Amino acid sequence: MRKQSNQPKKVNPTGANTAHKPNALNSYFSHHQKTYKSTFKQLIEQPLASFFTCAVIGIAFVLPALLAILLSNIQSVQHNWDGSAQITLFLKKGVPALDGGILSEKIAKRQSITSSLFVDNDAALVEFKERFELQDAVDYLDENPLPHVILVQPDKSLKSIQHIEQIKNNLLKFPEVEGALLDVMWVQRLNSITQVLQRTTWVIALMLGLAIILILGNTIRLAIENRKEEITVVKLVGGTNAFVRRPFLYMGAFYGFGGSLIAWILINLTLFMLNEPIQDLAHSYQSTFNLSGFSFESTLLLLILGMSLGWFGSWLAVRKHLDDIEPT
Amino acid sequence: MIEFQNVMKRYQDGYEALQDVSFSMDRSEMAFLTGHSGAGKSTLLKLIMLMERTTKGHVTVGGQNLSQIPQRQIPYFRRHIGVVFQNHRLLYDRSVFDNVALPLEISGTNPREVGRRVRAALDKVGLLSKEKLTPIQLSGGEQQRVGIARAVVNKPPLLLADEPTGNLDPELSEEIMTLFSEFNQVGVTVLIASHDLALISHMKHRVIEINDGRMVSHA
Ligand SMILES: Nc1ncnc2c1ncn2[C@@H]1O[C@H](COP(=O)(O)OP(=O)(O)OP(=O)(O)O)[C@@H](O)[C@H]1O
Ligand SMILES: [Mg+2]
Repeated sequence: MRKQSNQPKKVNPTGANTAHKPNALNSYFSHHQKTYKSTFKQLIEQPLASFFTCAVIGIAFVLPALLAILLSNIQSVQHNWDGSAQITLFLKKGVPALDGGILSEKIAKRQSITSSLFVDNDAALVEFKERFELQDAVDYLDENPLPHVILVQPDKSLKSIQHIEQIKNNLLKFPEVEGALLDVMWVQRLNSITQVLQRTTWVIALMLGLAIILILGNTIRLAIENRKEEITVVKLVGGTNAFVRRPFLYMGAFYGFGGSLIAWILINLTLFMLNEPIQDLAHSYQSTFNLSGFSFESTLLLLILGMSLGWFGSWLAVRKHLDDIEPT
Repeated sequence: MIEFQNVMKRYQDGYEALQDVSFSMDRSEMAFLTGHSGAGKSTLLKLIMLMERTTKGHVTVGGQNLSQIPQRQIPYFRRHIGVVFQNHRLLYDRSVFDNVALPLEISGTNPREVGRRVRAALDKVGLLSKEKLTPIQLSGGEQQRVGIARAVVNKPPLLLADEPTGNLDPELSEEIMTLFSEFNQVGVTVLIASHDLALISHMKHRVIEINDGRMVSHA
């Protein structure tokens, strides 16, 4: 904060010596130390009231923080996806394997295509039999029910679903092609869901941040009311507005810190409770997915954010209510 | 040290508490400010310490025209004036020591220096043994003396007091007035508002009287 505010300025009409320059900085810090100690003492002298204020702030932190964690987990899934979409082209019945191979080579030469692979329907049937151990069932079939297939890999730089969709439609125009399947839909959908979630997180974070500021503002306002006489006296004996503000700013920071501490506990509790069902869900998709929780950095960020928000909230309240108190 | 030139003070409600007040006090002078209740004594003191601003005229303190001091400089200005209030204005949730230390803490005095100065001030008013008590545990006269210790701990060149003996018995009142005289003897300019006429005449200091917001005499 403003350092110079503690040192006497030019106004020295009576020629008194109240400036104790050599140790001005020293005493400035010692005053800060004294202020936060006495402010902290005040807060723990009313444990219940302080706890409730912190709890309200903490709870307001939890929702946006959980959403942010959910988001970062979804994003880590997206990062693991290599970005490749695959288009499966089913060829019409009766198209000879040779023609299919030629078509596949033709498609591979296109600019927006990375590679393309022709899969013979006989080969596919063999693989199918082996993979699903349906030897007998397949043997009963008179003819191969599978069509020839071409697996097309669009260029990796194409991320938007519209682009890939367009390629798919173009490929459908070949007379040999019966149908096409785009298997990236879910990733793309996840992408747009993420975006919606991201915005939602921001909006909720913003609203709850505002709520925190309002709650704190009110708490600080009450604290100011309670200490009106003290403020008046301090101003009468030469206390600057900065000096008078200081304990309330500390108070706001303490509330913010306490609030984010409570939020941290609640978040970790929630993650702990969510971990098992999420593991089960992941297993059912043959996947091992670990819910990544709260890193050290995120914890630090949460605490710093809480303190800053508390400081800022009380600064607003103090600006509004405190500077008006003039001794009479 | 203090100069009033044709000072008029009109409060927000239109009431004119002071009209055309002019007087001056030299450095190291001691004077009593008297007048009936509502005459404007407190108003005059408030103008000196910039709790109120003049409507017309000029107040000069230590050569500085107070109307030229901007609002945010007022705290620094006040650090050069010690003030004793009629109702003490002590902080009851702090010890006597902390009450007296307040002005030093505000002006950023070295913490080691603070202890020395606070004890010197408490010694001067005879309360050295009670530094750890809170003001509630003290008598009215003792509380007033804590207020005086707080006013002088900064060694201000100007000391103002508004009815410092307001509700004290005559003996205690005289004791406190003697204390002010002692500060005056070491060079502090002292201005005391009081309507304890018997005591004032006894003290043989200059008397400034106001009546309905106007000067009556300034000998
Ligand atoms: N803030 C204010 N607003 C309006 N009028 C005020 C205000 N303060 C004081 N007055 C009026 O100004 C007049 C002078 O008040 P002041 O307090 O200066 O008197 P005083 O001489 O100190 O009286 P007392 O001896 O009773 O303390 C009174 O009539 C009072 O009602
Ligand atoms: Mg008065």
